[in-house]
Amino acid sequence: MLSIDSVSFSYGEIKVLDGVSLAIPDGSIFGLLGPNGAGKTTLISILCGLRPPAAGRVAVERRAIGLVPQELAFYPMLTVRENLRFFGGVQNLGGARLRERLDAVVAFARLEGVLERRAAELSGGLKRRLNLAIGLLTEPDLVLLDEPTVGVDPQSRAFLLESIGALRSPARHILYTSHYMEEVQAICDHVAIIDAGRVLAAGPLAAVLGGAPSLEEVFLRLTNRGLRD
Amino acid sequence: MRRLLALWTKEWIALSRDLHGLAVLFLMPAAFIAIMSLALSDTFGDRVRVDFAVLGPDAAKIAGELEGDGFRAAPAPANAAAARDLVRQGKLSLVLLAGPRPVVLADPALPQPQVLAFRMRALAVTLGAKPADLTQAIEVEVVGMPRGRLSSVQQNVPAWLIFGMFFVVLPLASLFIVERRDGTLARLVAQRVPFPLILAGKIGPYFLINLAQAALMLLVGRSVVPWLGGEALALPARWDLLLLATACTSIAALGWGLLVAVGARTLEQATVIGGVGNILAAALGGIMVPRFVMPQAMQRWADLSPMAWALDAFHAVMLRGGSSATLAPSFT
Repeated sequence: MLSIDSVSFSYGEIKVLDGVSLAIPDGSIFGLLGPNGAGKTTLISILCGLRPPAAGRVAVERRAIGLVPQELAFYPMLTVRENLRFFGGVQNLGGARLRERLDAVVAFARLEGVLERRAAELSGGLKRRLNLAIGLLTEPDLVLLDEPTVGVDPQSRAFLLESIGALRSPARHILYTSHYMEEVQAICDHVAIIDAGRVLAAGPLAAVLGGAPSLEEVFLRLTNRGLRD
Repeated sequence: MRRLLALWTKEWIALSRDLHGLAVLFLMPAAFIAIMSLALSDTFGDRVRVDFAVLGPDAAKIAGELEGDGFRAAPAPANAAAARDLVRQGKLSLVLLAGPRPVVLADPALPQPQVLAFRMRALAVTLGAKPADLTQAIEVEVVGMPRGRLSSVQQNVPAWLIFGMFFVVLPLASLFIVERRDGTLARLVAQRVPFPLILAGKIGPYFLINLAQAALMLLVGRSVVPWLGGEALALPARWDLLLLATACTSIAALGWGLLVAVGARTLEQATVIGGVGNILAAALGGIMVPRFVMPQAMQRWADLSPMAWALDAFHAVMLRGGSSATLAPSFT
């Protein structure tokens, strides 16, 4: 179990997280939902150690973390292979182990045909796949996926969802944020809906649905229909 | 070490694919050295040619005696009014109106030291001496210079090398900002890459690039400038001090680069702050205009520019044949 206990965070006077507590069961894919500005990305940045929480506790200890940020966080002037070698190298992978992991993530994200192409020249879907592959280089036991399917075509999206589903393993926690409710409903077994830094609902998917036909309906009921930005 | 190597390799690849960045770092200072060394070569050497004319009694004899040391006699104008017109039009640089009370007409574009030198020669001739007697009467020894005199290339190589070295600010800050903007820096931190290691990954490659710039600019001064018709750069005897001066200049340039990288929010800001900052620091620090021609107050302001400290150090090594003791004040 990965637990987040009463975590709070503010940007100056603006409170972004207000006592957020979540329990992410082992082996689960946990969907974190919320409108823009709800605090999802801030919570992810706290989980991966980019920001310390102002209050509360996150029990991440010395886990290997694989961050797949919302941005395409790689070097456009480097080739796909150079990017993978670089991110493997800075995580202390080398020699046979680096080759093995590189081959594994390339096969996983189906990047075999573009290894020598510069990342800047890839299509949107391939860029997202490279972004995901980099996050999986070290076989992390905590995978943080921040809107990993944003801006891709339906084929790439279906492939990414299938791939993320395949990451599920008993020793791994996967935290998944998205604005696409049907995605979350399709691959997550636990969800939490947060808004204005507070948890509105959390638990197994079926419990949060509570008989509602779709997650989107529950989401809109809890967070209301007003525009946020 | 593997992580550092990965960071260095990434910087090398990124820079090697940035042709504009490479041009700014290597071609720009090399071009400045070649152009400025050739353009100013006559100012430092004995090949200055200033045309003058003499009007009045014994004009031809006086003109003959005044010739030499860069002064060349031209045909005398018809009268003083014609002489003034020629000087005004820039066709004659100097005219001596000989007579009981001699007058020198001077082109305003002529540097003041040359006007003074001509006046000294005219004075010698008026007093019945030869101008050559004046120069031979007192010998001038330029202390510490490899060839015993200052040359244009000797002045320009260190100045434009320093200017080029500070331009590492552009690629260094740009990639840093792109990493921050695109989330790669956050990814590295999330992957528990220590921030000092990330910094070392930046500083190492650019330090080596600064050393490569120094080697290349010395080569330009030594080989390209003479090939283009200028004088060859005389290398200092103390290579260790040259390396020390280069290393310290590099550290200052890298510090400036990191400051811009941290302070600028966008690529545009970094380009403007880094580029304009370098030009201002060069203007203030004696790279573009030698400090000795600046007024006293400006010379004090020049001490604010790290390029001025670097230039002092390079001059101590390359012009004055200085020791580590003479170099030390440049860095303290």
